Amino acid sequence: MIEVKDLVKSYGSLAAVDHVTFSVPKGSILGLLGPNGAGKTTTMRVLTTSLTMTSGKVTLDGYDVAEAPHEVRKRIGYLPEVPPIYPDMDVISYLKFVAEIKEIPSDKKANRIGEVLEMLDLEAMSRRLIGHLSLGFRQRVGLAQALLHDPDVLILDEPTRGLDPKQILEIRKLIKSLRGRKTIILSTHILPEVSSTCDDVVIIDQGRVVAADSVENLSQRLAGGKTLEVEVKGPAAEVEKALEKTEGVTSVKAVGKEARGLCKFEIVTDGSTQAREALFQCVVKNKWVLYQLNPLGLSLEDVFLKLTTKDSAG
Amino acid sequence: MNANKIWAIARKDIGHYFASPLGYVVLAVFFLVTGFFFSLIVEQTRSASMIPVFQNTIIVLLFITPMITMRLWSEEEKSGTAELLRTSPLTAWEIILGKYLAVCFFFLVMLGATFVYLLIMMLAGNPDMGPVLANYMGYSLSAMVFFSIGLFASTLSENQIVSAVLTYGALLILWVMGAAASSVQGPLGEVFKYLSLFEHLEDFFKGVVDLSHVFYFASLIFLSLFFSVKVLESKRS
Repeated sequence: MIEVKDLVKSYGSLAAVDHVTFSVPKGSILGLLGPNGAGKTTTMRVLTTSLTMTSGKVTLDGYDVAEAPHEVRKRIGYLPEVPPIYPDMDVISYLKFVAEIKEIPSDKKANRIGEVLEMLDLEAMSRRLIGHLSLGFRQRVGLAQALLHDPDVLILDEPTRGLDPKQILEIRKLIKSLRGRKTIILSTHILPEVSSTCDDVVIIDQGRVVAADSVENLSQRLAGGKTLEVEVKGPAAEVEKALEKTEGVTSVKAVGKEARGLCKFEIVTDGSTQAREALFQCVVKNKWVLYQLNPLGLSLEDVFLKLTTKDSAG
Repeated sequence: MNANKIWAIARKDIGHYFASPLGYVVLAVFFLVTGFFFSLIVEQTRSASMIPVFQNTIIVLLFITPMITMRLWSEEEKSGTAELLRTSPLTAWEIILGKYLAVCFFFLVMLGATFVYLLIMMLAGNPDMGPVLANYMGYSLSAMVFFSIGLFASTLSENQIVSAVLTYGALLILWVMGAAASSVQGPLGEVFKYLSLFEHLEDFFKGVVDLSHVFYFASLIFLSLFFSVKVLESKRS
C-alpha cells in the first residue's frame, strides 16, 4: 500500500532523511520509532505531500507522491505533530470546514461528522470553541480531522501526545480497531506504544533506518533467543564454575549481587533445548535449588537503545 | 479549481475576522474616520459629492490594509494549520483565492457604511450618479490592490508583524511613486509615473472610467496573487 524507496530529504548539506526504505502492506500498522530529531516527522511530511523530497520514490496506493500529489491527498488522513486546529472555531464548524476542503459530498457531511464525533467521544464538546478545549481534546479534534473523509491511509505523528494515561489507552484502542481497514503509519518515541499497537516497526536514527521488522521478530532477532536468565540458591562462585562447564553453555555472567543465598546469572547458550536440561541437571546434581530459568528476549526498549546508541558507544 | 473549496476557505477566513475584536475595531475606526470626513466636507462645501470623502479616506485604507491582511497566511503557518491545507486536496490557487475573497468580503462590509452617506446625499441633494459610481470603482480597485499586496506579504513570513511591516513598506512606495516621478526626468520618470497608483486613481475621482486604468489595477492584483501562489507552492520544498 505504501512504498518508500531510497527517500532522501536534505536541507543544504544536511540530510534529514537519508535513503530511507520501507513498505507498509494494506491494512497493517507501522510504527516509526526514533529519538527526537531522527527524521520521523520529515518522512511523514514527505509521505503526506506537505514536503517535497530531494530524491527517492514514494508511492501510496500506486500513486506517486511527487507526480500525483493531488490523488495522494485525497487518500490520506494526516495528524501533524501539532494538531491543525483553529482556536476561534467550534468543533462542529471546524469539522464542517475540513469536510468541505476534503471533498466530502454535502449530503454525507453531517452524517460523517456525527460518526467521527462519536468515535472520538467529542459529542459533548461539539459546540465548544476549540481554543477552550484541553490539550487532550484538541488532539482528539486533530484525529477527528484526519479520520473525517474516511481515508485509506492514516499518517499520525505522535497521536498520543499530550494525552493522559486513560486517553492514551482509548486512542490506542481506537487505532487498533482500525487495523485491517486502514493502513496506518504512526510515529512515536514511546516504546510501549509500538509493542501494543503496531504490527511492524521501523527504527530511524539520524535520518537512517537502523532496523525494520515485525515487532516480535525484531526483539527476538536481536537477542538471538539464546540468552537465559538463571537464578540458583547456592554459593555463587561454585555455581558459576559449575554452570560454565555445562554442555551447550558459551558464557556465564553473574548479574547483581548474591542476596539471601540467591545468585543470578545471564547465560548465553548455543540455543539448543539440551542446554536448558543440562543446566537443570547440573543444579540438581549439586543439590542446589533452581529458582528461575527464563529465556531472555530483549524488550523493545533494549532493542531501541541498542540500535540508536551504537555509534556513540563505539 | 473548485468554487466550493474556495468558498469554504473564504467563509472560514471571514469567520476569523468576526471571531476576534480586530474585525470590529477596524470597522469601527473606519466608520468613525469616514463619518468624520463626510460630515466635515459636507459642512464646508455644501455640495453633494463623494469625491473628497474618498480622496481623504483612501489613506485610511492604506493603514487598515496590513491589519486585515497580515494574518491571512502568516497565522496558518505559525499555528500549524498550513499543514492541514497543504495536505488536503486543495491547490495553491484555491487557497489564495479563498483568502483574497475573504478580505474583499470584509471590505464590502466596510464599504457598506459609505452607502449611508450616499443615501443621505440622495435625500438632501441630487448627486450625479455617474461620477459617484466611478469613485466607488476606483476606491474599490485601489483597496483590492492593497489587499492583494497584503496577502502576498503575508505568505512571506509566519510572523504577522513582519508581514504587516512589509505591506506598509510596499503600499507607501506605491503611494509615493507619483512624487518620485515628478522629480525624475526621462523614461524612468515615465515608468514611475505609470506605476504610481494615484496617477491611475485620479481619473476615477474625476468621474472617468478608463479601461487602461482598470487594466493597471487588474494586473497588479493578478501579479500579487500569482506571486502568493508561487510562494505557497515553494513552501513544500
